[in-house]
Amino acid sequence: MEPTTGDLTDPLINHADGQLFLHEAFKIIVEEVLCKGTDVKEKVCEWREPEELARLLDLELREKGEPQENLLQRVRDVAKYSIKTSHPRFFNQQFAGVDYHSLAGRFLSEALNTNLFTYEVAPVFVLMEAEVLRGLRALVGWTEGDGLFCPGGSTSNMYAMNLARYRLYPEVKSQGLRSLPQLTVFTSPESHYSVKKGAAFMGFGMDNVILVKVDDGGRMIPEDLDEKIELSKSQGAVPFLVSCTSGTTVQGAFDPLDLIADVCDKHKLWLHVDAAWGGSVLFSKKHSHLMKGVHRANSVAWNPHKMLVAGLQCSVLLLKDTTDLLKKCHCANATYLFQQDKFYDVNLDIGDKSVQCSRKVDCLKLWLMWKAVGSAGLEQRVDKAFLHARYVVDQMKKREGFQLLGDPQFVNVCFWFIPPSLRGKEKNADYQNKLAKVAPVIKERMMKQGTMMVGYQPLGDRVNFFRITILSPLVSQKDMDFFLDEIERLGNDL
Amino acid sequence: MAHLWTLLLLKQSLTMILEDAVKKATDVRQKVCEWHSPEELKELLDLELRDSGEPEARILERCRDAIRYSVKTTHPHFFNQLYAGLEPYSLVASFITDALKPSLYTYEMSPVFTLMENAVLRKLIQTVGWEEGGDGLFNAGGSMSNMYALNLARYRHFPEIKELGNSAAPRLAVFTSQECHYSISKAAALMGIGTKNVFVVPSDKRGKMTPSALEEQIESVKSEGGVPFMVNATAGTTVLGAFDPIDEIADICEKNKLWLHVDACWGGAVLMSNKHKLLMKGIHRVDSVSWNPHKMLMACLQCSAFLVRDKTHLLQRCHSARASYLFQQDKFYDLSYDTGDKSVQCSRKPDAFKFWLMWKALGTSELEQRVDRALTMARYLADEITKREGFRLVMEPEYANVCFWYIPPSLRDLPDGPEFQEKLHNVAPVVKERMMKKGSMMVGYQPHRGQANFFRMVVISPQVSRQDMDFVLDEIHSLGKDL
Repeated sequence: MEPTTGDLTDPLINHADGQLFLHEAFKIIVEEVLCKGTDVKEKVCEWREPEELARLLDLELREKGEPQENLLQRVRDVAKYSIKTSHPRFFNQQFAGVDYHSLAGRFLSEALNTNLFTYEVAPVFVLMEAEVLRGLRALVGWTEGDGLFCPGGSTSNMYAMNLARYRLYPEVKSQGLRSLPQLTVFTSPESHYSVKKGAAFMGFGMDNVILVKVDDGGRMIPEDLDEKIELSKSQGAVPFLVSCTSGTTVQGAFDPLDLIADVCDKHKLWLHVDAAWGGSVLFSKKHSHLMKGVHRANSVAWNPHKMLVAGLQCSVLLLKDTTDLLKKCHCANATYLFQQDKFYDVNLDIGDKSVQCSRKVDCLKLWLMWKAVGSAGLEQRVDKAFLHARYVVDQMKKREGFQLLGDPQFVNVCFWFIPPSLRGKEKNADYQNKLAKVAPVIKERMMKQGTMMVGYQPLGDRVNFFRITILSPLVSQKDMDFFLDEIERLGNDL
Repeated sequence: MAHLWTLLLLKQSLTMILEDAVKKATDVRQKVCEWHSPEELKELLDLELRDSGEPEARILERCRDAIRYSVKTTHPHFFNQLYAGLEPYSLVASFITDALKPSLYTYEMSPVFTLMENAVLRKLIQTVGWEEGGDGLFNAGGSMSNMYALNLARYRHFPEIKELGNSAAPRLAVFTSQECHYSISKAAALMGIGTKNVFVVPSDKRGKMTPSALEEQIESVKSEGGVPFMVNATAGTTVLGAFDPIDEIADICEKNKLWLHVDACWGGAVLMSNKHKLLMKGIHRVDSVSWNPHKMLMACLQCSAFLVRDKTHLLQRCHSARASYLFQQDKFYDLSYDTGDKSVQCSRKPDAFKFWLMWKALGTSELEQRVDRALTMARYLADEITKREGFRLVMEPEYANVCFWYIPPSLRDLPDGPEFQEKLHNVAPVVKERMMKKGSMMVGYQPHRGQANFFRMVVISPQVSRQDMDFVLDEIHSLGKDL
């Protein structure tokens, strides 16, 4: 039925209903996700095959709506069948745990539904973002600079490549890459895949991401970097950026920044540090040495949603630049958003620094948490994670069947579990093949039983091994012991 | 283990959020914004991050302050952008995702949300009219969705670019209208194509791309040795809300074998309406569509869908890097459910869920009703503007954008000419400043195509009614009549 003018007199929706639903749904979220989801007596996950899960969830979108009781049941179902990433036995990814201050910040950000492109629509958050970036830059060692919150570390890494390219050849913005010589990027094979994805996306081509050798611990070798740069130049290409990693994804290795900075200085290359995972060591007086030399970089990517438990998404790009490079590189000067005749200082309209238009508020969750616990509190969190990792490593050395890949630099503990049937059989021809099959089976069992989640992967010529990442402020020694016992329990019969 | 006191903090902040950020923010008797200059606001917020923490009570106060000094984008008198209003079901979905913090790269990490995203994409694809099906995913914004279109189009034409870079291909050219969203330009710069190779096709008086001009430009570029590869048509332009003629553009693209992408971020919602979907006639013929449910359909930010009419895993092939630490090939479940390699992002939020839950709650018919009502409301506003002295429409609205000038009494007798235009140009900024400092409403203005600043009213939310439209016009007059 077509709405008539008469129908336009009243609002179409009933706020009371909506608010009641919010209220009821909150209760379920608190109970199912936050209480049960962080309780060791509950499962980490409730495994279902995709077809079965699709049936249980009744996904179809229909003509008619549903009553609130149905919807509340749906909320319950979503909570039930989702992975409890805040559970003390969730160790699968580089994020875990929960901080209630940042959670409150996240809820608040959603409710306000603010868009961060101009001061007029986002006065509080434009200022807040600037302050948080300043605080993070200070930890890097920069008293000035620039930066932005991005929708993820992959985007932060891409921005760095874009800025480096633009600084060297500002004409690339209008002319594109074809008018330029071949540009090359240098990174290690242990770096995050976003460097390659970014290179493809941005028109450089994945082949022009040159991989530099790493040592046994997964750290970039500066001498090889120097050689590879020379080689690239001799082939007529123009090296323009080195993307090194502070905290590699699998092994948690930290590239030697000071030595790499020497190489970059020599060749005048942009040094980008992907500290998405490892950046948080900068909060710790004890461990920040792992990133010694970071102040010499041009840009740093850092994801507080990882070790600082800020909650997805919370990802920053920090820049040493003070010449407004970010804005110049990205701006399009859209007149419907960035009018020059506004009644306030239009430099506060930061939207043109981004490649995005709409941009969510991701700074509140970090700011609120930082205010609540202070830098000292965040430092404690980082230090504790290191202690847990150390404990696990020590325990593994005492237990038969656990073989570490190496001595971890960070909080990624990589190890093989060798079931009794394989112990002592390293010389057998099919040892590697058999070992490779162990982790996938244990993973399947842990997920189907819902007792914990730990990731595994191959790396180079090393067959499947587990990677446990320990960062949640909710875990304790008991959880570490449980984890070791559980791997044994699940894998002893293999 | 959740400590009692932290749960208490959470409950208190949730109560405050419900009270201040939801209830009051949508109450027409409250202000839309509480204006402060940046210096004042900095002092009020005490933003500095320090070594030591603060007590819970202080943290709650800070939450209260953040709410108080923020613009209430859900207020019935917030019309500033292409989104507005509060959608409680979508908000609940956001809260759930924030509490669960899932990442959408693998089925093992996000079983529920992987399936939900699939279901929503399938439904949207059905709505667009691709009978053979398609592919897609949800992105962190429409700009990114548009970029994906460019990347896929480029990859389909020249797959070697992925490894070798742009120089492996000839000079690529993309075509778009002069009214299009600026993300096309930003995309061309980011992707190494170059903004110079984005060819801008003129629009007619109603803001629609002129197909004959498109055809001419394509020929012209070809004759200069360029290689056209994509056309971006806009369904619902940012300022005027115009719809490019998709059918005619599709004819041209088919003839020239170009990828046709439709940026329907703003206008896609018409597809929910039997009455208005004609605005996107021909949409089933296109290669890709961007559509932001966070705009007219009011899902919470971000919620942007990218749809592609392809069944050859183009999205995956174009973007994959096959990281072995995430996409192990020996997992114990069907690996086609791991969608992460379709994206350029790694961690990805399950934005589709915000749309799924509200669609379940409302049903297609209510979503349709909302779109129809918004457009009827826009029609009402346009009629009122035509009737009132001192108000002049820039153009008859096709969608939910109602663009108009307010001409204060002192200017009404001036003949049209440079003096009149200049004086008129200065009216909107002052009225805007006044409305913001008063906090009574927010309506955007902009210059456009050399014309004097005009207001752009955007009608979205089903919570606004006729009286709110009347209020907008009354208020503009009240704030500007002395100019």
